Amino acid sequence: MQRFEFLGRFARNRGALVGAGLILVVALMAILAPVFFPTDPLRIVGLPELWPGEDSEFPLGTDSLGRDILAMIVHGARATLLIGLFASAVATIIGVGVGAIAGYFGGWVDEIAMRAAELFQTIPNLIFVLTIVVILGSTLSNIVIAIGIVSWTPIARMTRAEFLALRDREFVQACRSMGMSDFRIILTEILPNALPPVIVLSSLVVAGAILFESAVSFLGLGDPNVASWGRLVGDGRQLIRSSWYICAIPGIAIMITVLCLNLVGDGLNDALNPKLRDR
Amino acid sequence: MAGELVSPTPALRGSARRAAALKLLRRRLIQAVPLMLGVVVINFCLIQMAPGSFLELMTAENQVSDPATVALLRKTYGLDDPVWMQLLKYIWALLHFDFGFSYRQNMPVIQAIWIHLPATILLMVSSIALAVTIGVAAGVVASMKVRTFWDSLVSVAAMFFYAAPSFWLGIMLIVLFSVKLGWLPVGGMMKIGGNGGVLEILHHLILPTLALGLFYAAIYARVMRSSMLEVAQLDFVRTARAKGLSRNQVTIHHVLRNALLPVVTILGVQMGTVLAGSVVIESVFSWPGVGSLLFDSVSSRNYPVVLGIMVLGSLVVIAANIAVDLIYMWLDPRIEIR
Repeated sequence: MQRFEFLGRFARNRGALVGAGLILVVALMAILAPVFFPTDPLRIVGLPELWPGEDSEFPLGTDSLGRDILAMIVHGARATLLIGLFASAVATIIGVGVGAIAGYFGGWVDEIAMRAAELFQTIPNLIFVLTIVVILGSTLSNIVIAIGIVSWTPIARMTRAEFLALRDREFVQACRSMGMSDFRIILTEILPNALPPVIVLSSLVVAGAILFESAVSFLGLGDPNVASWGRLVGDGRQLIRSSWYICAIPGIAIMITVLCLNLVGDGLNDALNPKLRDR
Repeated sequence: MAGELVSPTPALRGSARRAAALKLLRRRLIQAVPLMLGVVVINFCLIQMAPGSFLELMTAENQVSDPATVALLRKTYGLDDPVWMQLLKYIWALLHFDFGFSYRQNMPVIQAIWIHLPATILLMVSSIALAVTIGVAAGVVASMKVRTFWDSLVSVAAMFFYAAPSFWLGIMLIVLFSVKLGWLPVGGMMKIGGNGGVLEILHHLILPTLALGLFYAAIYARVMRSSMLEVAQLDFVRTARAKGLSRNQVTIHHVLRNALLPVVTILGVQMGTVLAGSVVIESVFSWPGVGSLLFDSVSSRNYPVVLGIMVLGSLVVIAANIAVDLIYMWLDPRIEIR
């Protein structure tokens, strides 16, 4: 019953619903990219620098080499979404791990964990990502891990706060008196109760991760084998005098996706805490 | 980091406040030591994790192949020492602001960074000033006209600027204001052959400031709006209204000052991201700051400069956080900051 109430509250939020719908469209686009555009999106298919609408075969126009921008956007959605999701997963795993241990054990463990979180907040995030990527190499996995490493601190703080609130509740005390191990209490008793707000935060981290990845790719430091949206903006940068749409279109795609993820995150948040809704 | 609330103490005045500020400053400086040490250790780990030895990469980049020179470099960099010894030496060198030598700029790393720092600080300060001004103003307007056209306008604008990638926004601003309208320069800090007058620099500063600052303005507008609405429900506001003050008087003198506190807190937390954001913006606008230097060093794999920027960038963030804490204390004397 509770679950339906939650869904109902989420569905009453129009922005969140529209956001969720559009995210679904982008996700479908990413999954079905090879169906819509079975050939390599980086193949030259027409005249260079055709403006959107100029040729009905290329609704979003072509770039400086005559590649179909729509095909590149659809295929780019795969890279962008996957990197965002995996980076957020890395951040969530680190954040939940650190936050759970800090909140459950408290004392000096907590002190060390929170100092570590402070440390990672001190290092300017994008500079850290660029440093990791340049020293360890611009591969997809390094970029994902680097973004995860700079994004875990808010998740850790949130998890810690939830654990602090839950660790002395009766059901946990009951488990402890039954002789359940700390590890099992954390994993099977407290974590499921602490998870909902953490998941909301993770959805917002996906949005942040997409922005990070697009900045890294825009600077030309992304994985050279992956054509994400950020890289398309970077590629079009030289032509802003004649054909600025080449830059504009992938940027709009990034903006819409991030915007929708934020709307969904806000909607989930409101649905979880109905009292805060009118803020 | 900023503004962990401890038990409220009675408001302090004059010399007592100054003493409290000094005490806070001292405590913060002591806390900064382990943080900086942590940054240095992370740096050191990154060097150790680099595929192949750091030295091999460096010699390859600088095309040094003479075995005698390589042996000498091995000795100077202490690569034959045990790891903990190397770490201690590294910390010792950094304590003396010795970040190594940059062959590309043909000067010590610290000097290369130092030359580029003022431009970045200028961009950061102007962007934060813009963000706070626009964000606070928009948030106040939205909160005073809740659920009207103006409120929605602020929400929608904030939503868009919060989602737009800053580099893309920068390029779009260039397309509109430089290419189409021809009002503002495409990039750089001064005209070619220009004398670098204040007006000339300000003219070049407008677009990068907008591109970097509007994202943060969006955040502050949202925070300010909800914070204003929250404070407006507190008892002292009702008292002020009951005293016969007008709604505007109460909003400006009583609500605004208290509602600013969360904005200041966020400002402190985000100092690092503002600095990092300037890296991208500087590359879009060829702004001659640390970001441009970092981009150049990353592209040419000039590790000493990259690592130096990471350490000094963290130092700037710590210093900015201390400044934010002091501002916080000045804004709300009741609060004792741990």
